[in-house]
Amino acid sequence: MSIEAINEQLLRAIGVGVALIDLNALTLQFRNDTFNEWFGENDPAAKLTDLFPDLDSNELLAEMRNGGHMATEISFKLRRRKMTVAMEFNRADDAGRNIAVLVCQNITRIKELESMIDSYSMMVERNTHEIKREKEQVEKLLLNMMPRAAYEEYKTFGVVSPRLFNPVSVLALDFVGFDDLLSENEPGVVVSELNDIYSAFDRIGAQFGCQRIRTNGDSYVTVSGVPDPNDAHAIAIANSAVRFLRYLDRRNMSHPIKWIARIGTAAGSVIGSVVGSQNYIYDVFGPTVTKALSNRAAASPMSVVSDTGFAAQIADRFQITPVVGGDGQVMIEDLPAAGPTG
Amino acid sequence: MEKTLFEKYGGFSKISKIVLTFYDRMLEDDDVGPFFDDVDLPKLIDHQTQFISALMGGPATFSDDRIERAHRNMNIEHHHFDRLKEIVAETLADFDVAPADIEIVLEGFEHRRVLLVEKPNVD
Repeated sequence: MSIEAINEQLLRAIGVGVALIDLNALTLQFRNDTFNEWFGENDPAAKLTDLFPDLDSNELLAEMRNGGHMATEISFKLRRRKMTVAMEFNRADDAGRNIAVLVCQNITRIKELESMIDSYSMMVERNTHEIKREKEQVEKLLLNMMPRAAYEEYKTFGVVSPRLFNPVSVLALDFVGFDDLLSENEPGVVVSELNDIYSAFDRIGAQFGCQRIRTNGDSYVTVSGVPDPNDAHAIAIANSAVRFLRYLDRRNMSHPIKWIARIGTAAGSVIGSVVGSQNYIYDVFGPTVTKALSNRAAASPMSVVSDTGFAAQIADRFQITPVVGGDGQVMIEDLPAAGPTG
Repeated sequence: MEKTLFEKYGGFSKISKIVLTFYDRMLEDDDVGPFFDDVDLPKLIDHQTQFISALMGGPATFSDDRIERAHRNMNIEHHHFDRLKEIVAETLADFDVAPADIEIVLEGFEHRRVLLVEKPNVD
């Protein structure tokens, strides 16, 4: 077999479609087997434009005159499969004849893979979006349960180590006759009002940089100086305390259920930490918390009670009066006729 | 957490090959192939990728509603559906999916037979 014959055999058998185009007549001179398999064994007189109606013959001829090269893609159906073929026309350097070589590569699989990747990336994007949303919800929930600094520590290390905060002030509030409120009213109504009130306390406290630590039934505890230090922690707590009472006063005027609170405050140090391995809760402990609770116990309805240590830190801004019959405790009120405290 | 079939069989890199092979065989099959004569290719691949991923517990959901809509205008009979299941089973077996797992995927298909063949929502 001659070299030419071998070459022709190879050209015929190759998995790439090859054809020779007569650029004068726009007919196909030679087609290999792959080309015929894709585009059918057309009659030799058939024009290139009959075979590929979408092909712009003027553009092709112009490109062949200029650079001698043109690339394009066409799609067609082979049996029921949509085929996509990349076509490349190259003008042949043959002085005698005006011909071009057309090489067709089957890129169907690439196209199919492209659509599959598109489909999969959309699935993944949607999933990522959902995971992100869930993560945000979890974060929101955890931030309700602990200060951001503790949450960040928890996220990074998986634990929150106990930390001493000093100095801080603690405010402890409860309601007088809470059990009676519950037995005399619809429990759902009481809880929903309590929810409103605690939310209002949270908002008021936040204005002064207080961090609510926990609520437990009718007991509400907030602190200033945890987790971020605050030099004016006692003033922040006293400001919140008088405003809590003022808020309740105003609320009681327009609501059938009257909420009567007692508040105790104290200054000192506390330990802050997440407690529990299943039901995480951020809490603060220490003698200052205990002192605030015992001050609260000494408070008359709708009053704020503290000790002299706390009072000394806010003396020029609030009115301080000794609790009659108390254990050295003092009552904290707005300064008279001074307008709102601040 | 238990591994999904999607994870067990190598995630998208393997599932994509299963889907493409499955798709080839469906198109070439003389019983079920004709149903795909006029179906847009990217759409078909998209549906099959999502459906098979979803069946194998991958990151996709594919509602029965969508399946029903996609096949609404096709006259699919039980023997077509049986043939489809055969192709699924053969393809999965060729990719070394364990018989018990093939059964799980086939059940997923069987579950939707009624949507394709009986078309309960079409008058």
